[in-house]
Amino acid sequence: MKKMELVKLIDTTRCTACRGCQVACKQWNELPGLKTKNWGSYQNPPDLQWNTWTLIRFNEVADKDNRVKWLFRKDGCMHCTDAACVKVCPSGALYHTEYGTVGIHHERCIGCKECMAACPFEIPKYDRDTDKVYKCDLCYSRIKDDQQPACVKSCPTGALSIGAKDAMIKKAYDRVKKLGGDANVYGDQFVDGTHVIYVLQEKPEMYDHLPKHPRVPFSVVAWKDFLKPISLLAAGGVLAGSFLHYIIHGPKTPDDIQENKTQGGE
Amino acid sequence: MKKGMIQATDAFERITHWLLAISCLVLCITGLGMMFHSFNFVGTMMGGLKSLKYVHNFTALIFIVALYMAVRMWWKEAGVFVLPEDLDWIKAAGGYLWHVDKVPEVGKYNPGQKAFFLVVALCGSLMVVTGLIMWAPLIFPVWLVRWMYPLHALGFVAIFSFFFVHLYLGTIGSPGSAPAMFSGWVTRAWLLKQHPKWLKEMEEHGTLVVYGEEKESIEHGH
Repeated sequence: MKKMELVKLIDTTRCTACRGCQVACKQWNELPGLKTKNWGSYQNPPDLQWNTWTLIRFNEVADKDNRVKWLFRKDGCMHCTDAACVKVCPSGALYHTEYGTVGIHHERCIGCKECMAACPFEIPKYDRDTDKVYKCDLCYSRIKDDQQPACVKSCPTGALSIGAKDAMIKKAYDRVKKLGGDANVYGDQFVDGTHVIYVLQEKPEMYDHLPKHPRVPFSVVAWKDFLKPISLLAAGGVLAGSFLHYIIHGPKTPDDIQENKTQGGE
Repeated sequence: MKKGMIQATDAFERITHWLLAISCLVLCITGLGMMFHSFNFVGTMMGGLKSLKYVHNFTALIFIVALYMAVRMWWKEAGVFVLPEDLDWIKAAGGYLWHVDKVPEVGKYNPGQKAFFLVVALCGSLMVVTGLIMWAPLIFPVWLVRWMYPLHALGFVAIFSFFFVHLYLGTIGSPGSAPAMFSGWVTRAWLLKQHPKWLKEMEEHGTLVVYGEEKESIEHGH
């Protein structure tokens, strides 16, 4: 694919929760299945895991007339423009690709888990055995080779599509217009725009695990944009101050012992 | 050792000091390696940033022991300000910043040293608590873990700045001080200049240990 900003559109109104994307993701990325538990939901595994980078969430909600609605949402990395995970990653394992997505160099990951606390969507997951963190990279290996991500390729209903940022955002708003009601576009207005956006049938708060106002946590801003530069300024200031003290005021040198007998302590 | 030198520290104090100092320095350097991408090369020297993470985490365990020893040992001497004499010294900035005809006399630790001790004790404890939570972040709620990182950075800012002040005043900024932490023996002139009250106290209590002399306590009959 041409080196341009890509956006993946997830139209939840077209999703039938077949979970083909979940399987295709595992197949392309060669991720193992792990033993899971039946917890009374089709949502399986219950949450994203180091080996499950995308997951269909099943949501039962009652509307105001007490009719049950069954909402499906494909969860996974949102590929933020202002990505908190990239901001905090100490090793450069997490990085912005030329497509605007957030890639991950697994060989550089040191398993510090700082991205896990920073991510407003709680996407990165940790594997104890390899002591590394994993997440969706929007199939960087495929888009680089002019292929659609595995999930998009596998989707039978057209719920998933990928393309140039502006075109996809327009497509999303056109769809929302057609749907009417509470339908809305989710993603383009947060963290300088995510590179995965949703068309949601219902308001965002109706969906499990979907933050209403995702943003880079203030703690990350305080840490990376404020304290980090301050630490260098403070250290540099103290070093410069010490030097100036030495050449202007001079060191505090003990007086000759004879002098001291009359003068006392300075 | 020259005759007439006075013992300022015992071996245990010096071991504690250097255990704390070296572990703190290793933590600062390895921490910088993780804080700034431009310092990632520190990890390369250790066989990768992942090894650096382990060096940082396990050095922290030594730091915890050293910090505990240091706080236990120096709390009473350096952790409590004595008024009003410490205030007088602060008003004169200890004679470090401008000319003072007569610097208020201080004992074993001047208020500047006390401030440094308190910064190390309090910020050090902050580093231990935040660091341990950062070591096992998955067992704590995420809103708590999120604040551990900026607090850890804040503690670093304070400790790292004070570290350079300490380095300067322990060496060229105050000649004669460094031997107190190497051999443990200092000159009488240095003591008179830096800690006159302490010298008097040791003389009065007969605890003054002078190289090449019998312990004065024998003369004083304590």
